[in-house]
Amino acid sequence: MARPIVIGLEVHLQLNTKTKLFCSCSTDYIGRTPNTNVCPICLAVPGTLPLLNDSAVALASRMGIGLRCKIQNYSTFGRKNYFYADLAKAYQITQYELPVATGGYLEIEVNGETKVVRLHHLHLEEDAGKLVHPTTDGRLTGAAYSLVDYNRGGVPLTEVVSEPDMSSPAEAKEYVSRLRQLARYLDVSDGEMESGSLRVDANISLSKPDGSLGTRVEIKNMNSFKSIERALEYEISRQNKVLDSGGRIVQETRLWDDAEGVTRSMRNKETASDYRYYPEMDLAPVVIDDSEIEDFRRRMPELPWEKRERFAAFGLTKEEISILTEQRELARYYEDVVSAGAPPARAANWVRMEVLRVLNELGIDITGFKVKPGALAELVKKVEAKELSNTLGKEILDVLAREDISLADAVKRSGASAGRLTGASLDEIIKKIVSANPDVVETIKNGEDKKGGKIKFLQGLVMKEARGQADPKEAAESLAKNLDL
Amino acid sequence: MKMTVDREITLRMAKAAQLHIEPEQVGRMMDSINDILDFCALVGDLDCEGTPDFMWKMKKLPARRPDAPKDWPERELFESKAPAFEGEFFKVPRIIVEG
Repeated sequence: MARPIVIGLEVHLQLNTKTKLFCSCSTDYIGRTPNTNVCPICLAVPGTLPLLNDSAVALASRMGIGLRCKIQNYSTFGRKNYFYADLAKAYQITQYELPVATGGYLEIEVNGETKVVRLHHLHLEEDAGKLVHPTTDGRLTGAAYSLVDYNRGGVPLTEVVSEPDMSSPAEAKEYVSRLRQLARYLDVSDGEMESGSLRVDANISLSKPDGSLGTRVEIKNMNSFKSIERALEYEISRQNKVLDSGGRIVQETRLWDDAEGVTRSMRNKETASDYRYYPEMDLAPVVIDDSEIEDFRRRMPELPWEKRERFAAFGLTKEEISILTEQRELARYYEDVVSAGAPPARAANWVRMEVLRVLNELGIDITGFKVKPGALAELVKKVEAKELSNTLGKEILDVLAREDISLADAVKRSGASAGRLTGASLDEIIKKIVSANPDVVETIKNGEDKKGGKIKFLQGLVMKEARGQADPKEAAESLAKNLDL
Repeated sequence: MKMTVDREITLRMAKAAQLHIEPEQVGRMMDSINDILDFCALVGDLDCEGTPDFMWKMKKLPARRPDAPKDWPERELFESKAPAFEGEFFKVPRIIVEG
Protein backbone atom coordinates (compact mmCIF):
# COMPACT_ATOMS: atom_id res chain seq x y z
CA MET A 1 0.00 0.00 0.00
CA ALA A 2 1.30 3.45 -0.90
CA ARG A 3 2.47 5.49 2.05
CA PRO A 4 0.53 8.77 2.42
CA ILE A 5 2.63 11.82 1.50
CA VAL A 6 2.79 14.78 3.86
CA ILE A 7 4.18 18.08 2.60
CA GLY A 8 4.48 21.45 4.31
CA LEU A 9 6.07 24.47 2.66
CA GLU A 10 7.98 27.53 3.81
CA VAL A 11 7.81 30.22 1.15
CA HIS A 12 10.05 33.28 1.34
CA LEU A 13 8.92 36.35 -0.54
CA GLN A 14 11.11 39.40 -1.00
CA LEU A 15 8.91 42.38 -0.20
CA ASN A 16 8.43 45.22 -2.69
CA THR A 17 9.99 47.87 -0.49
CA LYS A 18 12.41 50.55 -1.61
CA THR A 19 14.74 50.02 1.34
CA LYS A 20 16.05 47.19 3.47
CA LEU A 21 14.27 45.94 6.56
CA PHE A 22 16.37 47.73 9.16
CA CYS A 23 18.33 50.40 7.27
CA SER A 24 17.83 52.90 4.43
CA CYS A 25 19.96 51.06 1.84
CA SER A 26 18.22 50.45 -1.48
CA THR A 27 16.79 47.01 -2.18
CA ASP A 28 17.47 47.43 -5.90
CA TYR A 29 20.47 45.13 -5.99
CA ILE A 30 20.06 43.08 -9.18
CA GLY A 31 22.94 43.94 -11.49
CA ARG A 32 24.47 46.41 -9.02
CA THR A 33 28.18 46.46 -8.23
CA PRO A 34 28.71 44.18 -5.21
CA ASN A 35 28.72 45.82 -1.79
CA THR A 36 27.39 49.20 -2.95
CA ASN A 37 23.94 48.95 -1.28
CA VAL A 38 25.49 48.73 2.17
CA CYS A 39 25.82 50.84 5.29
CA PRO A 40 27.08 50.40 8.86
CA ILE A 41 23.74 48.86 9.94
CA CYS A 42 23.53 46.05 7.37
CA LEU A 43 27.28 45.46 7.74
CA ALA A 44 26.86 45.10 11.52
CA VAL A 45 29.34 47.78 12.48
CA PRO A 46 29.41 47.86 16.30
CA GLY A 47 27.33 50.63 17.84
CA THR A 48 24.70 50.77 15.09
CA LEU A 49 21.02 50.13 15.72
CA PRO A 50 18.40 48.69 13.40
CA LEU A 51 15.16 50.61 12.77
CA LEU A 52 12.18 48.82 11.24
CA ASN A 53 10.91 49.73 7.76
CA ASP A 54 7.28 50.86 7.96
CA SER A 55 6.44 49.59 4.44
CA ALA A 56 7.67 46.10 5.26
CA VAL A 57 5.18 45.92 8.12
CA ALA A 58 2.40 47.17 5.83
CA LEU A 59 3.21 44.69 3.05
CA ALA A 60 3.52 41.70 5.39
CA SER A 61 0.21 42.68 6.97
CA ARG A 62 -1.41 43.02 3.55
CA MET A 63 -0.21 39.53 2.61
CA GLY A 64 -1.51 38.27 5.94
CA ILE A 65 -4.92 39.79 5.33
CA GLY A 66 -4.98 38.28 1.82
CA LEU A 67 -4.26 34.89 3.38
CA ARG A 68 -7.04 35.36 5.98
CA CYS A 69 -4.49 35.35 8.83
CA LYS A 70 -5.00 37.11 12.13
CA ILE A 71 -2.80 40.21 12.15
CA GLN A 72 -1.20 40.47 15.55
CA ASN A 73 -1.37 43.74 17.48
CA TYR A 74 1.94 42.92 19.06
CA SER A 75 4.84 41.00 17.53
CA THR A 76 8.55 40.83 18.24
CA PHE A 77 11.89 40.12 16.62
CA GLY A 78 14.51 37.65 17.75
CA ARG A 79 18.06 36.74 16.87
CA LYS A 80 18.64 33.46 15.07
CA ASN A 81 22.28 32.66 15.59
CA TYR A 82 24.33 30.97 12.94
CA PHE A 83 27.96 31.40 12.11
CA TYR A 84 28.01 31.92 8.39
CA ALA A 85 29.48 34.85 6.49
CA ASP A 86 26.35 35.65 4.46
CA LEU A 87 25.16 37.72 7.43
CA ALA A 88 27.73 40.08 8.89
CA LYS A 89 26.20 39.96 12.37
CA ALA A 90 26.50 36.14 12.64
CA TYR A 91 22.79 36.13 13.41
CA GLN A 92 19.64 36.84 11.45
CA ILE A 93 16.99 39.18 12.79
CA THR A 94 13.72 37.31 12.37
CA GLN A 95 10.36 36.98 14.01
CA TYR A 96 10.19 33.80 16.02
CA GLU A 97 7.97 33.56 19.08
CA LEU A 98 5.49 36.28 18.14
CA PRO A 99 5.10 36.64 14.35
CA VAL A 100 3.20 39.44 12.65
CA ALA A 101 0.35 37.17 11.45
CA THR A 102 -0.95 33.75 12.49
CA GLY A 103 -3.40 31.18 11.15
CA GLY A 104 -5.10 31.73 7.82
CA TYR A 105 -5.46 29.50 4.79
CA LEU A 106 -5.13 29.33 1.04
CA GLU A 107 -7.43 27.44 -1.31
CA ILE A 108 -5.91 25.46 -4.15
CA GLU A 109 -7.48 23.44 -6.93
CA VAL A 110 -5.88 20.29 -8.32
CA ASN A 111 -7.60 17.99 -10.82
CA GLY A 112 -10.88 19.84 -10.32
CA GLU A 113 -10.80 19.31 -6.53
CA THR A 114 -10.62 22.28 -4.18
CA LYS A 115 -8.45 21.90 -1.11
CA VAL A 116 -7.80 24.20 1.82
CA VAL A 117 -4.17 24.50 2.92
CA ARG A 118 -3.99 25.88 6.46
CA LEU A 119 -1.23 28.28 7.37
CA HIS A 120 0.73 28.26 10.59
CA HIS A 121 1.96 31.84 10.47
CA LEU A 122 3.61 34.57 8.43
CA HIS A 123 6.63 36.46 9.73
CA LEU A 124 9.12 39.15 8.81
CA GLU A 125 12.86 38.59 8.54
CA GLU A 126 15.94 39.91 6.79
CA ASP A 127 17.54 38.30 3.75
CA ALA A 128 21.18 37.19 3.76
CA GLY A 129 24.00 38.35 1.49
CA LYS A 130 25.32 36.29 -1.40
CA LEU A 131 28.40 34.13 -1.22
CA VAL A 132 30.69 33.41 -4.15
CA HIS A 133 33.08 30.50 -4.00
CA PRO A 134 35.82 31.18 -6.51
CA THR A 135 37.14 28.02 -8.08
CA THR A 136 38.89 27.72 -11.39
CA ASP A 137 36.50 25.04 -12.62
CA GLY A 138 33.27 26.57 -11.23
CA ARG A 139 32.70 23.78 -8.69
CA LEU A 140 31.41 24.64 -5.21
CA THR A 141 34.12 22.66 -3.52
CA GLY A 142 37.81 23.36 -3.77
CA ALA A 143 37.73 27.12 -3.18
CA ALA A 144 40.53 28.43 -0.99
CA TYR A 145 38.31 31.23 0.31
CA SER A 146 34.84 32.74 -0.21
CA LEU A 147 33.67 36.18 -1.32
CA VAL A 148 30.63 38.00 0.06
CA ASP A 149 28.32 40.56 -1.51
CA TYR A 150 26.09 42.16 1.15
CA ASN A 151 23.85 44.06 -1.29
CA ARG A 152 21.04 41.57 -0.62
CA GLY A 153 21.79 41.32 3.09
CA GLY A 154 18.94 42.93 5.01
CA VAL A 155 16.39 42.98 2.19
CA PRO A 156 12.95 42.38 3.76
CA LEU A 157 11.40 38.94 3.44
CA THR A 158 8.12 37.58 4.57
CA GLU A 159 8.05 33.87 5.21
CA VAL A 160 4.71 32.09 4.85
CA VAL A 161 4.74 28.81 6.75
CA SER A 162 2.05 26.29 5.89
CA GLU A 163 0.73 23.41 7.91
CA PRO A 164 1.67 19.99 6.47
CA ASP A 165 -1.59 19.83 4.53
CA MET A 166 -0.39 18.99 1.02
CA SER A 167 -0.33 15.41 -0.13
CA SER A 168 1.25 15.49 -3.58
CA PRO A 169 3.93 17.41 -5.51
CA ALA A 170 1.18 18.77 -7.78
CA GLU A 171 -0.59 20.28 -4.75
CA ALA A 172 2.67 21.82 -3.55
CA LYS A 173 3.28 23.37 -6.95
CA GLU A 174 -0.27 24.70 -7.12
CA TYR A 175 0.03 26.14 -3.61
CA VAL A 176 3.18 28.08 -4.53
CA SER A 177 1.54 29.22 -7.75
CA ARG A 178 -1.53 30.56 -5.91
CA LEU A 179 0.63 32.18 -3.24
CA ARG A 180 2.70 33.93 -5.90
CA GLN A 181 -0.44 35.06 -7.70
CA LEU A 182 -1.74 36.58 -4.48
CA ALA A 183 1.58 38.31 -3.74
CA ARG A 184 1.53 39.82 -7.21
CA TYR A 185 -2.12 40.89 -7.00
CA LEU A 186 -1.36 42.61 -3.71
CA ASP A 187 1.90 44.21 -4.97
CA VAL A 188 3.63 42.56 -2.03
CA SER A 189 6.36 40.90 -4.11
CA ASP A 190 7.22 40.30 -7.74
CA GLY A 191 7.47 36.61 -6.87
CA GLU A 192 10.17 35.84 -9.45
CA MET A 193 11.66 32.47 -8.63
CA GLU A 194 14.45 32.84 -11.18
CA SER A 195 15.81 36.00 -9.57
CA GLY A 196 15.34 34.58 -6.07
CA SER A 197 12.58 36.89 -4.88
CA LEU A 198 10.45 33.79 -4.19
CA ARG A 199 12.19 30.83 -2.55
CA VAL A 200 10.64 27.60 -1.41
CA ASP A 201 11.76 25.11 1.22
CA ALA A 202 9.72 21.93 1.50
CA ASN A 203 9.30 19.56 4.42
CA ILE A 204 8.27 16.14 3.27
CA SER A 205 7.61 12.85 4.99
CA LEU A 206 5.84 9.57 4.33
CA SER A 207 3.35 8.49 6.95
CA LYS A 208 3.84 5.25 8.89
CA PRO A 209 1.41 2.31 8.58
CA ASP A 210 -0.29 3.37 11.84
CA GLY A 211 -0.98 6.80 10.32
CA SER A 212 1.56 8.69 12.41
CA LEU A 213 3.91 11.12 10.70
CA GLY A 214 7.20 9.79 9.39
CA THR A 215 10.58 11.47 9.73
CA ARG A 216 10.59 14.66 7.74
CA VAL A 217 13.28 15.82 5.37
CA GLU A 218 13.75 19.42 4.30
CA ILE A 219 14.40 20.12 0.62
CA LYS A 220 16.07 23.35 -0.49
CA ASN A 221 17.34 24.89 -3.72
CA MET A 222 14.22 24.46 -5.85
CA ASN A 223 14.44 27.40 -8.24
CA SER A 224 11.44 26.92 -10.50
CA PHE A 225 7.90 25.57 -10.37
CA LYS A 226 9.02 22.58 -12.38
CA SER A 227 11.85 21.87 -9.95
CA ILE A 228 9.43 21.92 -6.96
CA GLU A 229 7.45 19.12 -8.55
CA ARG A 230 10.50 17.18 -9.74
CA ALA A 231 12.36 17.47 -6.43
CA LEU A 232 9.37 16.28 -4.41
CA GLU A 233 8.66 13.41 -6.78
CA TYR A 234 12.29 12.32 -6.54
CA GLU A 235 12.26 12.58 -2.75
CA ILE A 236 9.07 10.52 -2.43
CA SER A 237 10.62 7.83 -4.57
CA ARG A 238 13.89 7.95 -2.59
CA GLN A 239 12.15 7.70 0.78
CA ASN A 240 9.94 4.86 -0.43
CA LYS A 241 13.02 2.93 -1.62
CA VAL A 242 14.79 3.46 1.71
CA LEU A 243 11.74 2.27 3.68
CA ASP A 244 11.03 -0.64 1.30
CA SER A 245 14.56 -1.92 1.84
CA GLY A 246 14.11 -1.82 5.61
CA GLY A 247 16.11 1.36 6.12
CA ARG A 248 15.11 4.45 8.07
CA ILE A 249 14.77 8.06 7.01
CA VAL A 250 17.29 10.46 8.53
CA GLN A 251 16.05 13.89 9.57
CA GLU A 252 18.19 16.16 7.42
CA THR A 253 18.30 19.00 4.93
CA ARG A 254 18.79 17.95 1.31
CA LEU A 255 19.65 20.11 -1.68
CA TRP A 256 17.90 19.65 -5.01
CA ASP A 257 20.36 19.24 -7.89
CA ASP A 258 18.33 20.28 -10.91
CA ALA A 259 20.90 19.17 -13.49
CA GLU A 260 21.21 15.66 -12.06
CA GLY A 261 17.56 15.40 -10.99
CA VAL A 262 18.42 14.23 -7.46
CA THR A 263 18.40 15.50 -3.88
CA ARG A 264 21.67 15.34 -1.95
CA SER A 265 22.26 15.38 1.76
CA MET A 266 23.44 18.81 2.86
CA ARG A 267 23.49 18.62 6.64
CA ASN A 268 21.64 17.14 9.55
CA LYS A 269 18.49 19.12 10.13
CA GLU A 270 18.85 21.89 12.68
CA THR A 271 16.27 22.27 15.37
CA ALA A 272 15.27 25.55 16.97
CA SER A 273 17.64 24.98 19.89
CA ASP A 274 20.60 24.86 17.49
CA TYR A 275 19.94 28.46 16.57
CA ARG A 276 19.87 29.70 20.19
CA TYR A 277 17.07 32.13 19.48
CA TYR A 278 16.84 35.03 21.84
CA PRO A 279 14.99 38.35 21.84
CA GLU A 280 16.36 41.16 19.68
CA MET A 281 16.76 43.82 22.32
CA ASP A 282 17.78 46.50 19.81
CA LEU A 283 14.30 46.59 18.27
CA ALA A 284 11.09 47.72 19.89
CA PRO A 285 8.14 45.34 19.53
CA VAL A 286 6.00 45.83 16.43
CA VAL A 287 2.75 47.36 17.58
CA ILE A 288 -0.07 47.40 15.01
CA ASP A 289 -3.23 48.74 16.54
CA ASP A 290 -6.73 47.88 15.34
CA SER A 291 -7.18 51.15 13.48
CA GLU A 292 -4.01 50.48 11.47
CA ILE A 293 -5.19 46.95 10.65
CA GLU A 294 -8.52 48.41 9.57
CA ASP A 295 -6.65 50.86 7.35
CA PHE A 296 -4.71 47.97 5.76
CA ARG A 297 -7.99 46.18 5.11
CA ARG A 298 -9.52 49.26 3.51
CA ARG A 299 -6.60 49.55 1.12
CA MET A 300 -6.75 45.93 -0.02
CA PRO A 301 -7.13 45.58 -3.79
CA GLU A 302 -9.45 42.99 -5.31
CA LEU A 303 -8.22 39.48 -4.57
CA PRO A 304 -7.80 36.81 -7.27
CA TRP A 305 -10.75 34.72 -6.07
CA GLU A 306 -12.96 37.82 -5.86
CA LYS A 307 -12.03 38.63 -9.44
CA ARG A 308 -12.76 35.06 -10.50
CA GLU A 309 -16.24 35.31 -9.00
CA ARG A 310 -16.90 38.58 -10.79
CA PHE A 311 -15.67 37.19 -14.11
CA ALA A 312 -18.05 34.24 -13.73
CA ALA A 313 -20.88 36.77 -14.08
CA PHE A 314 -19.64 37.46 -17.64
CA GLY A 315 -20.68 33.91 -18.49
CA LEU A 316 -17.10 32.72 -19.04
CA THR A 317 -16.00 29.13 -18.62
CA LYS A 318 -13.89 28.06 -15.66
CA GLU A 319 -10.88 27.62 -17.90
CA GLU A 320 -11.30 31.07 -19.47
CA ILE A 321 -11.60 32.66 -16.03
CA SER A 322 -8.54 30.83 -14.80
CA ILE A 323 -6.40 32.04 -17.70
CA LEU A 324 -7.72 35.61 -17.68
CA THR A 325 -7.26 36.09 -13.92
CA GLU A 326 -3.85 34.43 -13.64
CA GLN A 327 -2.13 37.80 -13.92
CA ARG A 328 -3.72 40.91 -12.48
CA GLU A 329 -2.53 43.03 -15.43
CA LEU A 330 -4.05 40.64 -17.98
CA ALA A 331 -7.33 40.60 -16.06
CA ARG A 332 -7.35 44.38 -16.02
CA TYR A 333 -6.65 44.49 -19.76
CA TYR A 334 -9.56 42.14 -20.42
CA GLU A 335 -11.88 44.22 -18.28
CA ASP A 336 -10.85 47.36 -20.12
CA VAL A 337 -11.61 45.68 -23.46
CA VAL A 338 -15.08 44.79 -22.18
CA SER A 339 -15.59 48.27 -20.72
CA ALA A 340 -14.74 49.69 -24.16
CA GLY A 341 -17.73 47.83 -25.59
CA ALA A 342 -16.53 44.40 -26.71
CA PRO A 343 -18.94 41.54 -25.89
CA PRO A 344 -17.47 39.75 -22.80
CA ALA A 345 -17.43 36.23 -24.27
CA ARG A 346 -15.86 37.33 -27.57
CA ALA A 347 -13.38 39.57 -25.79
CA ALA A 348 -12.39 36.66 -23.55
CA ASN A 349 -11.74 34.54 -26.60
CA TRP A 350 -9.63 37.19 -28.26
CA VAL A 351 -7.55 37.96 -25.19
CA ARG A 352 -7.08 34.32 -24.28
CA MET A 353 -6.25 33.06 -27.77
CA GLU A 354 -4.94 35.93 -29.86
CA VAL A 355 -3.47 38.42 -27.39
CA LEU A 356 -1.62 35.68 -25.49
CA ARG A 357 -0.39 34.23 -28.80
CA VAL A 358 1.02 37.59 -29.90
CA LEU A 359 2.58 38.23 -26.46
CA ASN A 360 4.23 34.83 -26.66
CA GLU A 361 5.54 35.51 -30.16
CA LEU A 362 6.92 38.89 -29.11
CA GLY A 363 8.29 37.57 -25.81
CA ILE A 364 6.65 40.37 -23.80
CA ASP A 365 4.00 40.62 -21.12
CA ILE A 366 0.72 42.51 -21.26
CA THR A 367 2.23 45.66 -19.75
CA GLY A 368 4.37 46.06 -22.86
CA PHE A 369 1.55 45.29 -25.32
CA LYS A 370 1.08 48.07 -27.88
CA VAL A 371 -2.59 47.40 -28.65
CA LYS A 372 -4.67 49.47 -26.29
CA PRO A 373 -7.84 47.86 -24.89
CA GLY A 374 -10.01 50.39 -26.79
CA ALA A 375 -8.41 49.40 -30.10
CA LEU A 376 -8.90 45.69 -29.44
CA ALA A 377 -12.53 46.33 -28.47
CA GLU A 378 -13.09 48.14 -31.80
CA LEU A 379 -11.42 45.31 -33.68
CA VAL A 380 -13.56 42.69 -31.93
CA LYS A 381 -16.69 44.70 -32.68
CA LYS A 382 -15.77 44.93 -36.37
CA VAL A 383 -15.32 41.17 -36.55
CA GLU A 384 -18.61 40.68 -34.70
CA ALA A 385 -20.35 42.97 -37.21
CA LYS A 386 -18.74 40.93 -40.03
CA GLU A 387 -17.01 44.05 -41.33
CA LEU A 388 -13.82 42.02 -40.97
CA SER A 389 -13.31 38.30 -41.18
CA ASN A 390 -11.79 36.49 -38.23
CA THR A 391 -8.65 35.86 -40.26
CA LEU A 392 -8.25 39.48 -41.24
CA GLY A 393 -8.97 40.58 -37.67
CA LYS A 394 -6.09 38.44 -36.43
CA GLU A 395 -3.80 39.81 -39.14
CA ILE A 396 -4.69 43.36 -38.13
CA LEU A 397 -4.01 42.55 -34.47
CA ASP A 398 -0.57 41.29 -35.48
CA VAL A 399 0.13 44.55 -37.30
CA LEU A 400 -1.14 46.70 -34.42
CA ALA A 401 1.05 44.79 -31.96
CA ARG A 402 4.19 45.26 -34.03
CA GLU A 403 3.87 48.68 -35.63
CA ASP A 404 2.99 52.20 -34.57
CA ILE A 405 -0.19 52.39 -36.57
CA SER A 406 -3.80 53.25 -35.77
CA LEU A 407 -6.59 50.71 -36.09
CA ALA A 408 -8.18 52.75 -38.90
CA ASP A 409 -4.92 52.80 -40.88
CA ALA A 410 -4.30 49.09 -40.26
CA VAL A 411 -7.80 48.25 -41.50
CA LYS A 412 -7.33 50.49 -44.52
CA ARG A 413 -3.97 48.93 -45.34
CA SER A 414 -5.45 45.46 -45.12
CA GLY A 415 -7.76 46.35 -47.98
CA ALA A 416 -10.82 45.61 -45.92
CA SER A 417 -12.05 49.15 -45.57
CA ALA A 418 -14.70 48.60 -48.23
CA GLY A 419 -16.21 45.90 -46.09
CA ARG A 420 -16.99 42.35 -47.28
CA LEU A 421 -15.92 41.09 -50.67
CA THR A 422 -18.95 40.47 -52.81
CA GLY A 423 -20.30 40.87 -56.36
CA ALA A 424 -17.76 42.19 -58.86
CA SER A 425 -14.86 42.21 -56.37
CA LEU A 426 -15.48 38.57 -55.55
CA ASP A 427 -15.90 37.73 -59.24
CA GLU A 428 -12.53 39.27 -59.96
CA ILE A 429 -10.85 36.98 -57.43
CA ILE A 430 -12.66 33.91 -58.77
CA LYS A 431 -11.56 34.69 -62.33
CA LYS A 432 -7.99 35.05 -61.14
CA ILE A 433 -8.08 31.66 -59.41
CA VAL A 434 -9.79 29.94 -62.34
CA SER A 435 -7.25 31.23 -64.86
CA ALA A 436 -4.35 30.31 -62.59
CA ASN A 437 -5.52 26.66 -62.29
CA PRO A 438 -6.49 25.48 -65.81
CA ASP A 439 -5.73 21.80 -65.10
CA VAL A 440 -8.01 21.69 -62.08
CA VAL A 441 -10.75 23.51 -63.97
CA GLU A 442 -10.47 21.04 -66.88
CA THR A 443 -10.75 18.08 -64.49
CA ILE A 444 -13.92 19.52 -63.00
CA LYS A 445 -15.46 20.37 -66.37
CA ASN A 446 -14.70 16.87 -67.68
CA GLY A 447 -16.78 15.49 -64.83
CA GLU A 448 -13.78 13.76 -63.26
CA ASP A 449 -14.19 15.45 -59.87
CA LYS A 450 -16.54 12.77 -58.54
CA LYS A 451 -15.88 13.41 -54.88
CA GLY A 452 -15.87 17.21 -55.22
CA GLY A 453 -12.30 17.52 -53.89
CA LYS A 454 -11.15 19.71 -56.80
CA ILE A 455 -13.99 22.20 -56.49
CA LYS A 456 -13.37 22.43 -52.76
CA PHE A 457 -9.71 23.07 -53.53
CA LEU A 458 -10.67 26.01 -55.75
CA GLN A 459 -13.14 27.30 -53.13
CA GLY A 460 -10.32 27.22 -50.59
CA LEU A 461 -8.06 29.21 -52.90
CA VAL A 462 -10.79 31.82 -53.39
CA MET A 463 -11.35 32.21 -49.64
CA LYS A 464 -7.61 32.44 -49.09
CA GLU A 465 -7.24 35.10 -51.75
CA ALA A 466 -10.21 36.96 -50.25
CA ARG A 467 -8.49 36.61 -46.85
CA GLY A 468 -11.71 35.38 -45.36
CA GLN A 469 -13.59 38.52 -46.38
CA ALA A 470 -16.01 36.65 -48.64
CA ASP A 471 -19.08 34.75 -47.55
CA PRO A 472 -18.21 31.05 -48.15
CA LYS A 473 -21.68 30.27 -49.51
CA GLU A 474 -21.65 33.18 -51.96
CA ALA A 475 -18.08 32.34 -53.00
CA ALA A 476 -19.06 28.71 -53.71
CA GLU A 477 -22.09 29.76 -55.75
CA SER A 478 -20.16 32.36 -57.76
CA LEU A 479 -17.38 29.85 -58.45
CA ALA A 480 -19.90 27.26 -59.71
CA LYS A 481 -21.51 29.90 -61.93
CA ASN A 482 -18.15 30.92 -63.27
CA LEU A 483 -17.35 27.32 -64.18
CA ASP A 484 -20.80 26.88 -65.83
CA LEU A 485 -21.63 24.08 -63.40
CA MET B 1 15.66 35.87 47.40
CA LYS B 2 19.34 35.19 46.85
CA MET B 3 20.24 32.18 44.68
CA THR B 4 23.48 30.21 44.62
CA VAL B 5 24.83 27.39 42.49
CA ASP B 6 26.83 24.44 43.73
CA ARG B 7 29.38 22.30 41.93
CA GLU B 8 26.76 19.93 40.54
CA ILE B 9 24.58 22.69 39.08
CA THR B 10 27.66 24.36 37.58
CA LEU B 11 28.55 21.13 35.78
CA ARG B 12 24.98 20.77 34.50
CA MET B 13 24.98 24.36 33.24
CA ALA B 14 28.27 23.75 31.40
CA LYS B 15 26.81 20.65 29.81
CA ALA B 16 23.65 22.47 28.72
CA ALA B 17 25.78 25.20 27.15
CA GLN B 18 27.96 22.56 25.46
CA LEU B 19 31.07 23.91 27.20
CA HIS B 20 34.07 21.71 27.79
CA ILE B 21 35.32 22.32 31.32
CA GLU B 22 38.30 20.77 33.11
CA PRO B 23 37.70 19.59 36.74
CA GLU B 24 40.10 22.22 38.09
CA GLN B 25 38.10 24.99 36.35
CA VAL B 26 34.77 24.08 37.95
CA GLY B 27 35.39 25.92 41.22
CA ARG B 28 36.35 29.15 39.49
CA MET B 29 33.30 28.99 37.21
CA MET B 30 31.02 28.28 40.19
CA ASP B 31 32.44 31.34 42.02
CA SER B 32 31.94 33.52 38.93
CA ILE B 33 28.32 32.46 38.55
CA ASN B 34 27.68 33.10 42.25
CA ASP B 35 29.27 36.57 41.92
CA ILE B 36 26.85 37.30 39.06
CA LEU B 37 23.91 36.04 41.12
CA ASP B 38 25.02 38.20 44.06
CA PHE B 39 25.08 41.19 41.77
CA CYS B 40 21.62 40.38 40.39
CA ALA B 41 20.32 40.05 43.94
CA LEU B 42 20.99 43.78 44.40
CA VAL B 43 17.90 44.38 42.25
CA GLY B 44 15.89 43.19 45.22
CA ASP B 45 17.04 46.26 47.17
CA LEU B 46 15.62 48.66 44.59
CA ASP B 47 12.50 50.57 45.44
CA CYS B 48 10.29 50.12 42.32
CA GLU B 49 7.19 51.66 43.81
CA GLY B 50 5.42 53.83 41.20
CA THR B 51 7.75 52.93 38.31
CA PRO B 52 5.72 53.13 35.08
CA ASP B 53 5.24 50.09 32.84
CA PHE B 54 8.20 49.87 30.45
CA MET B 55 6.09 48.49 27.57
CA TRP B 56 3.84 51.51 27.85
CA LYS B 57 6.89 53.63 27.11
CA MET B 58 7.97 51.37 24.24
CA LYS B 59 4.75 52.08 22.41
CA LYS B 60 5.61 55.76 22.33
CA LEU B 61 8.93 55.17 20.55
CA PRO B 62 9.28 55.90 16.83
CA ALA B 63 9.57 52.17 16.24
CA ARG B 64 9.39 52.38 12.46
CA ARG B 65 11.02 54.54 9.82
CA PRO B 66 9.73 55.69 6.39
CA ASP B 67 10.70 53.58 3.38
CA ALA B 68 13.00 56.19 1.81
CA PRO B 69 16.35 55.10 0.30
CA LYS B 70 19.52 56.87 1.34
CA ASP B 71 23.04 56.08 0.12
CA TRP B 72 25.83 55.66 2.60
CA PRO B 73 28.48 58.08 1.35
CA GLU B 74 31.54 56.54 3.00
CA ARG B 75 31.52 53.13 1.43
CA GLU B 76 35.28 53.09 0.89
CA LEU B 77 35.63 53.07 4.67
CA PHE B 78 34.25 49.53 4.74
CA GLU B 79 36.79 48.43 2.20
CA SER B 80 39.67 49.96 4.12
CA LYS B 81 38.49 48.65 7.50
CA ALA B 82 37.51 45.17 6.33
CA PRO B 83 39.91 42.40 7.36
CA ALA B 84 40.17 41.37 3.72
CA PHE B 85 38.70 42.67 0.47
CA GLU B 86 39.08 41.38 -3.09
CA GLY B 87 37.76 43.29 -6.06
CA GLU B 88 34.31 44.43 -4.94
CA PHE B 89 33.86 41.64 -2.41
CA PHE B 90 34.55 41.01 1.24
CA LYS B 91 36.94 38.09 1.47
CA VAL B 92 36.21 35.46 4.12
CA PRO B 93 37.62 32.04 5.01
CA ARG B 94 36.30 29.27 2.82
CA ILE B 95 32.78 28.16 3.62
CA ILE B 96 32.44 24.93 1.70
CA VAL B 97 34.13 22.10 3.54
CA GLU B 98 35.33 19.14 1.48
CA GLY B 99 33.45 15.86 1.76
